[in-house]
Amino acid sequence: MTAGCAAPGPAAEWEPLGLSWHPSGQSSLSGPLLALAGRLDRAFLLLAATLWGAREERHPASMPAGTLQRVDYLHSFPHQASFPVRLDPDEANLDAFRAGPVLGPDGDVRLTRLAPAREVLTPAACYHLYAGHEGTSLAGPLYLTTSNTCFRHEARYEPLRRQWSFTMREFVCMGSAPETEAFLAEGRSAVDLLLKRLDVAVEWSVATDPFFRPLQNPQYLMQRVQPSKHEAVYGGELAIGSANQHHDHFGAGFSITRDGGPASSACIAFGIERWLFALVRRHGTDPAAWPDPAGVAAQVTGVPAGEPA
Amino acid sequence: MSSEPRADDHGQHGPGSGDARAMLRAWILAKNDDLDAGALSDQTPLLTTRYLRSVHLPELILLLERVRGTPIDVEYLGAGDFRDIDTIVTGFITPAQNTEPAS
Repeated sequence: MTAGCAAPGPAAEWEPLGLSWHPSGQSSLSGPLLALAGRLDRAFLLLAATLWGAREERHPASMPAGTLQRVDYLHSFPHQASFPVRLDPDEANLDAFRAGPVLGPDGDVRLTRLAPAREVLTPAACYHLYAGHEGTSLAGPLYLTTSNTCFRHEARYEPLRRQWSFTMREFVCMGSAPETEAFLAEGRSAVDLLLKRLDVAVEWSVATDPFFRPLQNPQYLMQRVQPSKHEAVYGGELAIGSANQHHDHFGAGFSITRDGGPASSACIAFGIERWLFALVRRHGTDPAAWPDPAGVAAQVTGVPAGEPA
Repeated sequence: MSSEPRADDHGQHGPGSGDARAMLRAWILAKNDDLDAGALSDQTPLLTTRYLRSVHLPELILLLERVRGTPIDVEYLGAGDFRDIDTIVTGFITPAQNTEPAS
């Protein structure tokens, strides 16, 4: 283990369930946990499809830094950003790299000159959606869903609960302010019903995003005076989902319009690994005792879990 | 409902609150070209209407600090503190130079 990457909690205890913990703050899933993650994502897809007919999109692992900066991401969250870098492709530089030790004794790569870093590893799945619909004039609400492996550097990591990379499923609505408010209300109700049927208790509470130097950030100050983020908190301290009203932050940033002005947007986000943690904590380490999220979602929505919604 | 500074504001809202209201009205109107002065009262919601946006907050806080003569500890900002002009004046101007809003 390296400093800052301690692995308290379920790392060893849950290995038989298919959890492998990496000192980098990441986990591998297999077996029962991987199957549960799959059924959970199927449940979310069923909700998104039946509630709003949401269209699913899939996006790359990284996005251009210039795109993220359209909404000032790098000033707001520099402490969480992860940048994919590569060696400058100049052959002399590559030869110099190969001629060196390549790796140090602690596994650190002995880099030579780097190519300019222009990408950021996806910090939240929904950023791709706003960028992908840049310049769109909406005639009505647009409902989308996407999932991605997201990267956020943290001071410390815990298996499933706080990871450098994790899986985020999101529902997104772009439209008028009333449309996004209705979306959040509908989504929260559906998530509450899903959680109730899964017998996982949460409390919704007001939250803020983890801004760097928050008191100097106007967006953080706005979240304080006009709460726009609510988290579904399991066990009094673990946010397994969030409902976020962005107002026209992304509409203005990406020139997405509705009714002649910047569109509003809102998202509902789920951290899949945290849901796994909550489900297993609630129902125990015997997979036979676990509820089937997809089956529960099918009951909630009236759509068979194995069928396209 | 008053949308203009009044002579009796000193008695009702404390010293300088009438001036503060007029100043806030002018400041908000300057930030919103499409906002008609007649449509802005002291109870007009500023946040839900987006007349007051995140980009405005640092300047507004500096403005309030200048008017009240003491700093505002933004760590104590809370939901609704900037809801409308009434709320801002009551919370930040009239409570006798407090350093925390009345939230």
